[in-house]
Amino acid sequence: MSLQIIKNTKIVLFGALSILLFSLAGSRANEDSYIKTGTQDNFDSQNPQNFFSIGARFVIRYIKSSYRNDPFRTFLEACLVFFIIWYVSRQKYRMNQTEVELSEKEVDELISEWKPEPLVRALTSVEQTILTNTPIINSPNTIIAELSTGTTAINFTSFDFLGIMNSEGAKAKAVQTLRNYGVGPCGPPGFFGTLDVHIELETTIAQFLKAEAAILYSQGMAVCVSVIPCFSKRGDIIVADEKVNFMLQQGIKLSRSKVYWYKHNDMEDLDRVLALANQNSSKKKGSIPRKFIISEGLFQYTGNIIKLNKVMELKNKHKFRLILDDSLAIGVLGSRGAGSTDHFNISAKSIDLLIGSLWGVFGGAGGFCCASKELIGHQRLSGLGYVFSAAMPAIMAITASDSIKRLEIDYILLLSALRKNISTLRNLLNEIDGVEILGDDFSPVIHVELKNEHYFKMIKSSNTGINTSDEISRNQMVEILCGITNEMQNSGVLVVQDIYIVDQEHNVPKPSIRILLSGGHSIEHLEKLSQELKKAIKV
Amino acid sequence: MLENPVSETFLLESFIDSPALNSKLEVEAALKQLPAVSAKSLHLSQTAFKQFNISTEKNYKNAPIATLNPSKPLKAETESLLKCATAVLPEEKKQVSELEQVPIQTLISTYFSFMILLIFAHVRDLLGKFFYPDQYKSLKEQDGYAPLISDFESLWNRRLYTRISDVFNRPITGVAGGHVNLLERTSKDNNRTFQLTGKKTNVLNLASYNYLGFAQSQGYCADQVEKMILEHGISTCTSRLHGGHTSLLSQTEQLVANFVGTEDAIIISMGYSTNSSVLPLLVQKGCLLISDELNHSSLVAGSRLSGATIAVFKHNNPEDLEQVLRKSISQGQPRTHRPWKKILVVVEGLYSMEGELCNLRGIIALKQKYKFNLYVDEAHSIGAVGKRGRGICDLLNIDPKQVDILMGTFTKSFGAVGGYIAGNKSLISMLRLMAHTSVYAESMPIPVLEQVASSLRLIMDDVPECKGEGLARINQLADNSAYFMGKLKQMGFLVLGSKGSPVVPLLLFNPGKIPAFSHECTKRNMAVVVVSYPATPIISGRVRFCLSASHTREDLNLALKHIDEIGDLLQLKLLKK
Ligand SMILES: Cc1ncc(COP(=O)(O)O)c(C=O)c1O
Repeated sequence: MSLQIIKNTKIVLFGALSILLFSLAGSRANEDSYIKTGTQDNFDSQNPQNFFSIGARFVIRYIKSSYRNDPFRTFLEACLVFFIIWYVSRQKYRMNQTEVELSEKEVDELISEWKPEPLVRALTSVEQTILTNTPIINSPNTIIAELSTGTTAINFTSFDFLGIMNSEGAKAKAVQTLRNYGVGPCGPPGFFGTLDVHIELETTIAQFLKAEAAILYSQGMAVCVSVIPCFSKRGDIIVADEKVNFMLQQGIKLSRSKVYWYKHNDMEDLDRVLALANQNSSKKKGSIPRKFIISEGLFQYTGNIIKLNKVMELKNKHKFRLILDDSLAIGVLGSRGAGSTDHFNISAKSIDLLIGSLWGVFGGAGGFCCASKELIGHQRLSGLGYVFSAAMPAIMAITASDSIKRLEIDYILLLSALRKNISTLRNLLNEIDGVEILGDDFSPVIHVELKNEHYFKMIKSSNTGINTSDEISRNQMVEILCGITNEMQNSGVLVVQDIYIVDQEHNVPKPSIRILLSGGHSIEHLEKLSQELKKAIKV
Repeated sequence: MLENPVSETFLLESFIDSPALNSKLEVEAALKQLPAVSAKSLHLSQTAFKQFNISTEKNYKNAPIATLNPSKPLKAETESLLKCATAVLPEEKKQVSELEQVPIQTLISTYFSFMILLIFAHVRDLLGKFFYPDQYKSLKEQDGYAPLISDFESLWNRRLYTRISDVFNRPITGVAGGHVNLLERTSKDNNRTFQLTGKKTNVLNLASYNYLGFAQSQGYCADQVEKMILEHGISTCTSRLHGGHTSLLSQTEQLVANFVGTEDAIIISMGYSTNSSVLPLLVQKGCLLISDELNHSSLVAGSRLSGATIAVFKHNNPEDLEQVLRKSISQGQPRTHRPWKKILVVVEGLYSMEGELCNLRGIIALKQKYKFNLYVDEAHSIGAVGKRGRGICDLLNIDPKQVDILMGTFTKSFGAVGGYIAGNKSLISMLRLMAHTSVYAESMPIPVLEQVASSLRLIMDDVPECKGEGLARINQLADNSAYFMGKLKQMGFLVLGSKGSPVVPLLLFNPGKIPAFSHECTKRNMAVVVVSYPATPIISGRVRFCLSASHTREDLNLALKHIDEIGDLLQLKLLKK
């Protein structure tokens, strides 16, 4: 409705302008009496041609006489006319220039003939399998989880890398927070949704990462989707790693900037693409566009770690800025666990926009972005997920804040436990035949891919009669992995395969089993995992 | 081109505008007013003609716009107006809007104020850049880097928003219930930075979306949440398909489906991403998404991500929607003219900035003929409207199954956060597997989930020890909303919104009055939300009151008394007789 007001006020202003113009015109026309007498009787709307020729005569005479009397006024009037023409034509602008003229009857026919596709397609059998095999947990999501089937299992699916979540202490604190703050803050941060605990959490994050300032977003998914379009707009340039996670891809898509992809973690290719992007943009006239490199710190899809020192060098060389999604690295990498900047001993302040999550390793909800004060201030007004969504519940903010504080104190213990587990498990898994273990030696995200030969072997041994001659489809792989994870779940190890929305991913990875390792796992847990994996893949 | 400033169409539009005239009495009252309005419109068009310096009698025929047609005798015109109005009124429950009565000088002065503000902003920027280039460095190209925040974009923020930024992002502590603790803050550098003074004031809360008053730290819901935290922990630390699916989630989803009245439902941990990540799954390239022009930012984000062609129809106007539909179906896709794969119409149940209920009946009436799918975002209406609190369908007596996708959030009426999608089984199974949030984002935290479940059980009257509490809340809210809006209207304020809406926006117009209103309210211990551009059109800055079931009549009377004073102080009673 308010838009109506604005439209109507536009009309009012516009009307006022035209009245002004035409009263001027009218008064002038009155002076030129011969025009009046010459035209009055001929004004006949039935005959448009006549009408127009008279109109043209009227206009020409009018301009001539007015120019004689007062050239400046003519100029003003001409400006007004142009303004009006511009205004009207602007409103009439339509995307559809190739419109076809149709009669009402034809329109009705077309409408009754039109058959839409169904809203959603039916799930394929593989998709159905994945859905029905989704594990359902019936207890806190800790190292040992109780499944809805009634069995318990060692849990390798939680991003709780430090193994500190859902502890008794955290629960007690959560209850206390509940009694002080309730659950939801009932409003977006701008409208009385900012709690004191949010401000404290933002300070805690900035201090922990040694960044200038931080802003909270209430869901992990919303961070990238808000931050990237907030700074990178149409006409700007993004150079992104081809294996960045889906949230970053969505942010990039929403920004409508020009995207160039470089080979995963390949610095030579990055150098090449940056040069190419610069070259292409320098061809265009006008001011230089904003240019960003987008990458992850610890890649969710591969478990690799960014070569940050090299990226920084290239970024400075080609005058790009860096948007770094350090969601998985923070709390894991670095001497203090402050992420990839800590790992490479680079100041977090030198990363233009640093994105992190609070829902994983810190066990809260949402995520954050660290940047200079000015950029954070800008996000508070233009970060869509910040402005237009409810603030984070106090319970989640306090839980996250406490985890960060715990890491600040206990980092030596927590990180060494995690690292020991990572190297133990990687060693164990590397001994297994037929699989490929992805990821960096520091990465607690471990993707286990089956080698193609092994898929063939498994298909043969299962005797399902599938033709195994040349290639296996993605669906077959997924189904086999489903079987493997199921078997492992039944024998007490909870792992899942990494699931993607295949047709929307930019560069969808090969199906794999995703193991998320925690410092809380014991050696026995790891041994059991590798044993069960061996058993399930039948080597 | 020669459109009359206040044409009949406009006047008529305001009649057919908002869908919430409830009783027959009101319909009759509205009808009685019609002749008066039409007389006014006649008068206005005549004035306009005089301004054109053309005699009305002689030359009106040549006027190029058909609406300028005062030649019909007044009576005939009234009759035709009446016919139009009656054709729509009984069915759609239309309401007389007061918008057309906004004095023109208010609009002009608002534009004028903005002009002055902008001129000053530019001048200050110009001088600043000249005298203190250092402070403006980040706005210029430096060393081969383009500025991150463009000059023009930031002008608004630096020069206009910063001036009044003390009324936004105000920190609070504790529960955002009927009253809330506001943390006092000061600024020593003209609102660039703020410092908390450590002082707390308890103020009446007319700002939070706490419609049913479930923002509580005590009572049934809080007890249940506590129990659940102790049993099931806090967070699942992973996404739904990767081990974050809990049995509590399944149960709550079933509860939501029962409540909304659909086969199935899926819960997603954030309302914003519910929209922004589900729309891309429903429509893709080759599909058409038709959106109400005032749809929420999350819906806009989702539409853009989907890659579908986007068309917009006039706010809450099924006639315009029909035009858009006819045109797009008959023309097909742009350039190729291939038929559309499917068409999705996206509307909101209650528009939160306008307090306006969706004209759902009018839209559903088109569904059969035009075969589109309908997506209704019930973020604000679920829980808050309808006899049983079940949203717009409940209010308008529409079978929820007629709407293909019912979306809603738990942020508003349920005192939690997150969102849901409800619909038929095949839709929801697809979303469980493929909604971006199922795969890539956190699943709903346990305390939040339990808050949703327990508040739903209360509303559905499923808790023996709290029999009738949910219904009492719904009625209290309806009562409060009607009372508050009625009183404001009586005082002569320009209030937007449908009757029965728990959101009551009051137009302020002039930019100067926006912070002033907020400050005056703070002085009188009330928290209110003032909104201005970019959340609203530039001209219609407003204050938005959100009613809650936890407000008592005394609270509201006190608030009304204060608002009355402020209204006199700031000359806001534009419709005062
Ligand atoms: C219509 C509409 N949809 C979605 C949302 C987003 O919901 P949430 O705050 O839960 O993210 C809002 C919130 O303001 C809204 O008004």
